Amino acid sequence: MILIQDGPAETTGFMILGYAVIFGVLLLHVLSLSLRKRNLRRDYDLLKDLEK
Amino acid sequence: MKNDYLDETPQLLKVLNWISVLLLLIASWMVFFYAPLEAVMGQVQRVFYFHVAAGWLGMAAFFVAVVAGIAYLIRRTAKWDVLGVAAVELGLIYMFVNIVSGSIWARPAWNSWWTWDPRLVTATVMELVYLAYLMLRQGIEEPERRARFGAVYAILGFATVPLTFFSIRIWRTIHPVVIGSGDAGAKGSFEMTSTMLQTFMFSLATFTVLGIVLLWHRYRLGKLEAQVEEMRMEALDY
Amino acid sequence: MEIKSPGFLASIKAILWKDIAIEWRSRQMLSAMMIFALLVILIFNFALELDARARINVTAGVLWATFAFAGTLGLNRSMAIEKEGDALDGLLLAPIDRSTIYFGKLLGNLLFMFVVELITLPVYSVLYNVNLFNAGLLLVIVLGSLGYAAVGTLLASMAVQARTRDLLLPVLLFPVVIPALVAAIRASSGFLSGLEVEFIMPSLNLLIAYDLVMLALAYMFFDFVIEE
Repeated sequence: MILIQDGPAETTGFMILGYAVIFGVLLLHVLSLSLRKRNLRRDYDLLKDLEK
Repeated sequence: MKNDYLDETPQLLKVLNWISVLLLLIASWMVFFYAPLEAVMGQVQRVFYFHVAAGWLGMAAFFVAVVAGIAYLIRRTAKWDVLGVAAVELGLIYMFVNIVSGSIWARPAWNSWWTWDPRLVTATVMELVYLAYLMLRQGIEEPERRARFGAVYAILGFATVPLTFFSIRIWRTIHPVVIGSGDAGAKGSFEMTSTMLQTFMFSLATFTVLGIVLLWHRYRLGKLEAQVEEMRMEALDY
Repeated sequence: MEIKSPGFLASIKAILWKDIAIEWRSRQMLSAMMIFALLVILIFNFALELDARARINVTAGVLWATFAFAGTLGLNRSMAIEKEGDALDGLLLAPIDRSTIYFGKLLGNLLFMFVVELITLPVYSVLYNVNLFNAGLLLVIVLGSLGYAAVGTLLASMAVQARTRDLLLPVLLFPVVIPALVAAIRASSGFLSGLEVEFIMPSLNLLIAYDLVMLALAYMFFDFVIEE
């Protein structure tokens, strides 16, 4: 348990860690989506050419 | 699905893209600057806002998967299955964010990386259920059966969530666990002031819009994937 | 020639009897489940290394962990025999209500679990020197096994149709059976330690709720899972 001293506990580090995870995952997710989309588009164009 | 599917990103989605970015920026500002500093646990309490919002999004996404599952079982059109997978994927990611951010918050607040409180455990069990969903799909080759089984499991899994939550709550009230120092219900044991409440609600709203945007993108991706798969099959026939 | 379709209960009884007869011939599944259960108990003994007092506290947990693991063997096998020789197709073609297949398999699975549980209890009693003759405990075992088998039968039907069938069943089953296990362990523990019934009721109620919900859902979904 956190001892209640004068003023709040110094927990900035944990806050940064927490938000690093949150924003990090968010970014990675968006990146993953755009990468997958780009790859699929490429496949699509390739297959479209093959059709001709 | 029609053969020539590859359309421009819909206007509405483009607009929502920008709105969600804007909302995210505002929400972040509120979290870091507008909301007050909590008196006991300090800065780490700010994690609470996006932690809960992510959990909300995860839960909502899994619920969408249930709706999509029911729709698939009734209608049997592939698009519902695509939506289901998209929703589960989204749910898994944001539930993960919820669990990890919860753990990071717990460490300074309750002195351990893990507290066996009902919400955290239920979130983890949900995560496992939907990971199992993915494994189920991976083990089935026929698309129709895969979609059908996925739908059944998505619905069944979601139904167990309230039961899991209460079973763990009952567990703890009878024999409170002395691991860490969390007491049975006390996740978020701080006083919420009005600015905190505003930040909290705004974060929820932000993540809701964000969720819609991400789900829509993932859904479109899924349809494109199915389209490409179809074309691949046809190409192989030559 | 008119084939008269048998009644609902008669169909269930026939399917149950079929499974009993098949198992009776070789008793392979029961033996495997039994040996497995005993091995699990032994492993727990070494894993937990407890003194006499502590053993009483963990009894409920050890028992249910054992039942949960041994149960997957029975579930797997029970559905696998339908896969052999397309026996399931035979069942599907028969002029019976499909839900009778579900209930028939469910009762079979339940029966086999009970056999294993009823043998495990005295063995555990002896090995751990704990008295397990407890009506409350038996009640919890019945209710818990029912919930487990209700979901398990449905999920086993799905798993057996996948490529990864043996791996898949535990992965699918355990997350969704957690509420039942938690409640069963809590209730068992309560009965074994002589807790007042009013404190055990919440767990029992949850277990009953779980059973009802899962039975209803499994019954509803079974059709979707075995359609061709």
